[in-house]
Amino acid sequence: MIGSLGLKLARFAVVLSVFALWEVLSRTGMVNPRLLPSASDTIAMLGQLLQRASVRSDLAVTASEVAVAFVLAVPCGALIGFAIAENRYFAEVAKPLLFFAFSIPKSIFLPMFILVFGVGFSQKVGFAFFSTIFIVIMSTTVAVDSVKTEYLTVARSYGATTAQTAFRVYLPSMLPVLLETVRISMIFNLTGVLLAEMYASRDGIGHQIATWGENFQMEQLLAGVLMIAIIAMTFNELVRWVETRCSHWRT
Amino acid sequence: MTISSTTLRRMIVVSLILCWEILPRFHVIPELFLPSLSSTLLAGWTDAGEYGHALMVTLYEVAVSMVFACGGGIIAGAVVGSLPRPRVLIMPMVSSLYAVPLVILYPVFTVWLGIGSESKIAFASIYGFLPTMLATAAGIQTIDPQLLIAARSMGATLTQRVTRVIIPAAIPTVLSGLRVGGALVIVGVVVSEMLISSAGIGYLISRYRTILDSAHVFAGVLLVLVLAVAFNAIIRFVERRAAIWQTGTHAGADAAGGDAPAILPATA
Amino acid sequence: MQPLANVTRLQPASRAGSIQIKNVGQVFKTSTQSVEALSDVSLDVKPGKFVVLVGPSGCGKSTLLMMLAGLRKQTSGTILINGAPIVAPDPDRIGVVFQEPSLFPWLTAEENVEFPLTLRGVDKAERRRKAQEALLLVGLDGFAKRHPHELSGGMKQRVSIARGLVQDPPVLLMDEPFAALDEQTRMTMGDELLRIWAATGKTVVFVTHSLTEAVYLADEVVVMSARPGRIVDHLTVTLPRPRTYEMLSGDAFGAMRDRIWRHIRKSA
Ligand SMILES: Nc1ncnc2c1ncn2[C@@H]1O[C@H](COP(=O)(O)OP(=O)(O)O)[C@@H](O)[C@H]1O
Ligand SMILES: [Mg+2]
Repeated sequence: MIGSLGLKLARFAVVLSVFALWEVLSRTGMVNPRLLPSASDTIAMLGQLLQRASVRSDLAVTASEVAVAFVLAVPCGALIGFAIAENRYFAEVAKPLLFFAFSIPKSIFLPMFILVFGVGFSQKVGFAFFSTIFIVIMSTTVAVDSVKTEYLTVARSYGATTAQTAFRVYLPSMLPVLLETVRISMIFNLTGVLLAEMYASRDGIGHQIATWGENFQMEQLLAGVLMIAIIAMTFNELVRWVETRCSHWRT
Repeated sequence: MTISSTTLRRMIVVSLILCWEILPRFHVIPELFLPSLSSTLLAGWTDAGEYGHALMVTLYEVAVSMVFACGGGIIAGAVVGSLPRPRVLIMPMVSSLYAVPLVILYPVFTVWLGIGSESKIAFASIYGFLPTMLATAAGIQTIDPQLLIAARSMGATLTQRVTRVIIPAAIPTVLSGLRVGGALVIVGVVVSEMLISSAGIGYLISRYRTILDSAHVFAGVLLVLVLAVAFNAIIRFVERRAAIWQTGTHAGADAAGGDAPAILPATA
Repeated sequence: MQPLANVTRLQPASRAGSIQIKNVGQVFKTSTQSVEALSDVSLDVKPGKFVVLVGPSGCGKSTLLMMLAGLRKQTSGTILINGAPIVAPDPDRIGVVFQEPSLFPWLTAEENVEFPLTLRGVDKAERRRKAQEALLLVGLDGFAKRHPHELSGGMKQRVSIARGLVQDPPVLLMDEPFAALDEQTRMTMGDELLRIWAATGKTVVFVTHSLTEAVYLADEVVVMSARPGRIVDHLTVTLPRPRTYEMLSGDAFGAMRDRIWRHIRKSA
């Protein structure tokens, strides 16, 4: 058996060897360095990019779009999800439709958002909202269903008030699923914003990445990819960390 | 309740379709935003040849990517799922990688492989690979170890255990992985065609968008929807045929229930 | 010692169905500690006997059975079945029935029973014939084409027993086979098992938690203690056969059950 520290070291080693391989391939010329700049050059470029005012403002634009879409989509989706899950008749009617809406690809509707909103902030936020809300609705219905009816019965038999059941029963037992919803919906949200920026936009980091690609600026492009990957994974791990903390105090 | 939920649902669907036709026709919604159903179908019909040709390109790219994404994903998932050590090592990394919006990789592929089919295939393969792998690995893990012990007690060799127990027991989860991965492959191909390309349905959608021809844009979107829904229906049909597997193992329930968010397609 | 009455069931000059366990021990080593699950277990089972193992949970009954089945290697000592050592699962000599029926959900009852024969490449007609015979023996001849999910818990366990018997091994090992069944089904299954046992003359090693079940079924009851598992008592049940429900309330039955219970309480 490997201990948990050993496991972390092993994972670190895997990541490190990926970067090492990347470095070697590029340095030795096994892969054309114009097509694959070395890892060290890319990381250096990433540092430079973060200093640039234009990149910073692009990041700020993207962040604001992500934040607005997220703040709109999560509560709206959660409310709709609650409404659907709480009413059995409503759930029976809506769930198959929802499953269908959920399973169809959202990205192909991106052109419609441009036709409706033109190119700009509202189009990108609108599209990100659209690509996020279905997963939020879906996960919320799952979350509500995950509240064990036994808990509710027990709580009621002890004479709990509505507010008490909401805060003492619903919230704690749904918390893990809600956090999971936040995590997953952020993935969808981020993808939505970046795709919208790459497709048609004048600013934002997605737009910048697409432009670097069109101009064959591999170093900048890879640095941009690395930057987004780091941001996305950091957020993901953060929510996961909270999840594990919560599951600790729950048990 | 006087009407059954199914009836109400049908009514909702029918009225949505009617709205799609009526609202644009009476200019409640501008035709630019939402062309009516009839003008969409008409646009598709008049340029059927063009759409047909684009569909061939897209289908070709989807088929090749499907082989890479699903084949690779199933093999990788089976290996990772059945070997405990790599699983503990790699699975958390893979699901962490899953959080990265992969769409940003597409420009990299266009630089490397050009704007032809190759870059679409590369991108869509990567796009569909992870969920297929995650689903397959999860499926292999849900195989009841008791079945393997029982097979061993009956003298099954390692090969027999793989072919007669592990593979049949993993089929339901592999199918659901295929459904998720395959849907992503379709999205990946169309999205990359929309971004930069010179052929395919995604390309047509984007080209008609730049000249603000909504009806033709919608015809393309509709075609992709039909493709995605048809693919989904085919896999579901196969899944139903294999329903005995579903009811018999934990895999079916798990894939549809608790683990679902982890393997849902990021079809943003 | 037992009178030799039962020996008439056997083919003379054959040691088919004899079990010799000599000074067997099992130590489980994990990274942090080593657990001595069984220590110096010796047991002789005569052909055709119905032996029941009882003992507190975790005393190593399953472990012992796994070693008899060749599914786990003992750390020390020897195990002979039919006079020859057990080194690997040997379906010719041993049939195993687990607590969970462990049926393959994608196969019909009949195909499940055929499974051990399929593994050895027995031809289809022969397989069918033997499976039919085994299903008839367990009283399920009308259910050959059903899948496991269409069968009740008791029926599934019957299929599992048929599967254990299909190769006609002289020894049948059963690890709490009725533990998951309800009380009534359990009693019926006990009678059924005794009937099958009487009809086939197998040596049966049967693990159970239920003292009533132990006394009701057994020729001999072997009582084990926990940590490390040892044999603390080995008693012969003198109740006549066939066993009947009336015996359950008799004094002899109660005395035997009390004696076992005292051992278990002492060692737990
Ligand atoms: N694979 C294993 N690794 C470590 N310890 C084990 C393993 N299998 C069983 N044990 C330990 O051996 C002891 C006997 O287990 P088992 O044979 O399952 O008991 P029983 O069937 O009598 O309840 C228990 O203490 C159990 O924890
Ligand atoms: Mg046991």
